[in-house]
Amino acid sequence: MNILNLIAVRVLSAAALALGCGAALAQAVQSVTLPLETARLKPSKLAGYQLALQKCGICHSADYISQQPPAMTAAQWTAEVRKMEHAYAAPLSDGDVAQIGEYLAVTYGGAKPTLGPVAAATPVPAAAPGTPAAAVDVQAVLKANACLGCHAVAQKIVGPAYHEVAARYKSDPQAQARLEASIRAGGSGKWGAVVMPPFANLSPQELKALAAFVLKQ
Amino acid sequence: MNHRDEHDARRRVFLQRAGLGAAAMGTFPLQAFAAGHETLPFGNGERELVTYPGKRPLLRVTTRPPHLETPFSAFGEGAITPNNAFFVRYHLANIPKRIDAAAYRLRVGGHVKQSLSLSLAELKALAAPVEVVAVNQCSGNSRGFFEPRVFGAQLGNGSMGNARWVGVPLRAVLEKAGVLPGAKQVAFNGLDTPVLPKTPDFIKALNIDLALSAEPIVAWSMNGADIPFLNGYPIKLIVPGYFGTYWVKHLSEIVVMDHGFDGFFMSTAYRVPDNACQCVPAGTAPTATRPITTLPVRSFITSVAGGARVPAGKPLQLKGIAFDGGSGIRKVEVSEDGQQWREAALGKDLGRFSFREWSFGMAAPRKGELKLMVRATNMQGDVQPATASWNPGGYARNVVETTRLLAV
Repeated sequence: MNILNLIAVRVLSAAALALGCGAALAQAVQSVTLPLETARLKPSKLAGYQLALQKCGICHSADYISQQPPAMTAAQWTAEVRKMEHAYAAPLSDGDVAQIGEYLAVTYGGAKPTLGPVAAATPVPAAAPGTPAAAVDVQAVLKANACLGCHAVAQKIVGPAYHEVAARYKSDPQAQARLEASIRAGGSGKWGAVVMPPFANLSPQELKALAAFVLKQ
Repeated sequence: MNHRDEHDARRRVFLQRAGLGAAAMGTFPLQAFAAGHETLPFGNGERELVTYPGKRPLLRVTTRPPHLETPFSAFGEGAITPNNAFFVRYHLANIPKRIDAAAYRLRVGGHVKQSLSLSLAELKALAAPVEVVAVNQCSGNSRGFFEPRVFGAQLGNGSMGNARWVGVPLRAVLEKAGVLPGAKQVAFNGLDTPVLPKTPDFIKALNIDLALSAEPIVAWSMNGADIPFLNGYPIKLIVPGYFGTYWVKHLSEIVVMDHGFDGFFMSTAYRVPDNACQCVPAGTAPTATRPITTLPVRSFITSVAGGARVPAGKPLQLKGIAFDGGSGIRKVEVSEDGQQWREAALGKDLGRFSFREWSFGMAAPRKGELKLMVRATNMQGDVQPATASWNPGGYARNVVETTRLLAV
């Protein structure tokens, strides 16, 4: 509760007493600050790991996953991910469902991988030095990495609005570098308790372009 | 030592401290476990004890949305669950974090003569306040014990609590708005909302007969204090005898409907097999389902935790709780073999929706393992089953509980 609220409460309690109202109005404003998220998805080279980091975390923390029963099958895990798509409108394609289902079943259920080579872990080819950031299609990168599931330009969704980020870093000469590092490493605490997953799969050019895009909003 | 052994060893250490320590000291040494861990006795049962606003350290199920279980030792403290020990369960991550009670409004609309937008003061002035002591139990309480296991929040036995609720009867609110003829259901929404616009909002519905009965109340007080923020401040729907899924937190909107409400959390989630046992053969899908409703009869030993050591050759004083969906508890029995049952003494009656405490003086055990079973019968004659039934949601478990002790 900030100072303004405290003043408001004092004024209201005086008013409440004057009116003969009960004590319930005396604490008119209540607020909570929630602890930081600590749970992390288990790292994996499977493609579904990156997808899970980016999509599952939009709506819930990772502890839900690690507590599930140890012997669930690939079919059961995949059905559970499909439920997230169909019942809860998680932004998942059929391919995403299969990849995340496999990652969860292999990592948390002891199933064997069946989907073949690991797509998202494929390193992005390093661009030639001096490639201009303009060569990166920012909108495509935002879409491919589900950034817009958690961030919008003008309003807070799960994470801060790009406007807010730009405003905070406005007079910071290190803004570009700091933002690139934040996107790459993820983290929590700067904007609230919710964890932003790391996007270590992005190339330096993509990081540069994304950070520049955000700072212009 | 393999992983499983290590796991069991850790659990034993905890249980010994919780059980024997408690027996020696007469209370449960909760503070000793603050910010520690507890391990529930099923696979992947490790839980952090975390302190949330207004709460003592509770077992963390999920961080976002907040979902916390009461450590079972808290139920040994008495028939009323303290506000700071009461479990917390949200479904959707956009929860309110700041609420101004002075600006709070409860909107009432739909199939009514006049829509309302009530301030808290106006709500409280609608009728003389009523009070009920009632158990709020999660539909999925004890889900972690289902065999075969099912997906969902992997809960031990701590997703329940018993509190004294004060509010106005829901029907006083509905009568103020004037329910029109032909009303079938009443839907309830709270301030929590989904993260994504297309995720279904958490909205629950009651049939009109239940909504207009004397029992549901719109409460603002829990055990003599404001309802804790994470339990639904400033007002919460209390549906005595019904599972917690209907007890909508931060209640903000009531809509009377001339048809059945078909939202996700009624039409798809929180449903049980549509038969007498609300069960199907393990691992199979029901052919028909219906919304979950009232609490089946249950009972627990609370004075000693499973795995604890007790002194052999000394009489053992057992205590516990029993409850059901509102007929009240007729008797509680204790058995060491599942064959011979001896009746426990019932404690103070706090009302038919409340935990009913019981106590039982057991003859001195011989050295070795003890398997103590407790079984309650309600006023309707329903008795807890000896074997667990199964349903795909992992809901409404009420098998006779067995507590294993070691007499030394």
